[in-house]
Amino acid sequence: MSSAKSVIISCAGIGSRLGLAQTKALLNIEGKSLIAWQLELFKDIEDIRIVVGFQAKAVIKEVLKYRKDAIFVYNHNYFETKTGASFYLGAKDANEYVIEYDGDLLVHPDDIKKCLVEEEYIAYSEKTSDEAVFVRTDEQGNVLSFSKKDGDYEWTGPACIKKSKLKYSTGNVFNQLEEHLPMKGIKIRAQDIDTYEDYQRAIDFVRGWK
Amino acid sequence: MTKFIFDLDGTITSKETLPLISNHFRLNEEIESLTKETVEGNIPFIESFIRRVYILGQLPVDEIDNLLETVELHPKVVDFISQNSDNCVIATGNLECWISKLVKKIGCKCYHSEGIIKDNKVEKLTKILKKENIVSFYKNAGEKVVFIGDGNNDMEAMRIADVAIASGLTHKPAKSVLSVSDYLVYSEEALCRLLNQLL
Repeated sequence: MSSAKSVIISCAGIGSRLGLAQTKALLNIEGKSLIAWQLELFKDIEDIRIVVGFQAKAVIKEVLKYRKDAIFVYNHNYFETKTGASFYLGAKDANEYVIEYDGDLLVHPDDIKKCLVEEEYIAYSEKTSDEAVFVRTDEQGNVLSFSKKDGDYEWTGPACIKKSKLKYSTGNVFNQLEEHLPMKGIKIRAQDIDTYEDYQRAIDFVRGWK
Repeated sequence: MTKFIFDLDGTITSKETLPLISNHFRLNEEIESLTKETVEGNIPFIESFIRRVYILGQLPVDEIDNLLETVELHPKVVDFISQNSDNCVIATGNLECWISKLVKKIGCKCYHSEGIIKDNKVEKLTKILKKENIVSFYKNAGEKVVFIGDGNNDMEAMRIADVAIASGLTHKPAKSVLSVSDYLVYSEEALCRLLNQLL
């Protein structure tokens, strides 16, 4: 069935802060790769787009085990760009609503349903890391601003926006969203993996699902 | 308007056509290894093509044309082409005389290589198609050009196309193709979804 939304998973980066010299998509979490966990979350979504760059061949091979119908999008400039560029490249020819999902993110399966909608939003979670980007919200939970210093919650993604509002950027996804604030906020349980400590937390997070 | 330019072998067809010819006529393995080496980019396309035409040109043209009409196709890709035939063209290095019936069956405009036919054989090769020229032609006409291909001889066309889609439907695309591609797909569902999004 055709749908007006696409999910863009950005897996192009080199994951430098993790220090494993390996793309995060292939991290082993409880016997499965991170990308496999993510694809499981999106099993009912028709248009899955995986943005690849660093170790593209290995990521593609892993994804094809689960989703032969994925569309792979190349970010050849992955070293010089950030997630904003990958999101734009993944989104520019996609369906009307594009859901941005960072390749280092795990969202609780009970919460992912709230995110798979054709409506604009920004998802955030309780603060877990020190070096995160934070969001400030109003009383209804709408996102008012992003900040690297402090905020009410941690910006984790995903986010959904109409693709027509996106422009190419070498910066971060939150920079692309900033000019469209305020936006509806959705609070979720999520864990992203930037550091080795985050990786350990992600394993505990997944254990908590069972 | 968007113009979709398709490679033929392995992109619209689900089997490569030259090995099919060599099997049918029980040619030696020379032609198959030649095709493989060419697809992988180990032999320059033009050199390989001239050698292939020299070998295959001695075979009856009408029999090859009939044989290739029966080659297996990717049904969803062919459906997309027939529903959007004005937006779609084929760019193939194959000789016109070998694929005329197949192209008629697919039902869109086709750019191809050409030769002089005499006594049901290829007497002389007169034109080898450069796919990049077809891309330039449509770009200069103001079209947004999407190129779908998999082989080394698609690379220059894909490099200059507005959107380059590497197709892994029949075999893994050549490495050179991946280095200039915007997209990579491994299923007809993914390819046709993407093509419809690009319409």
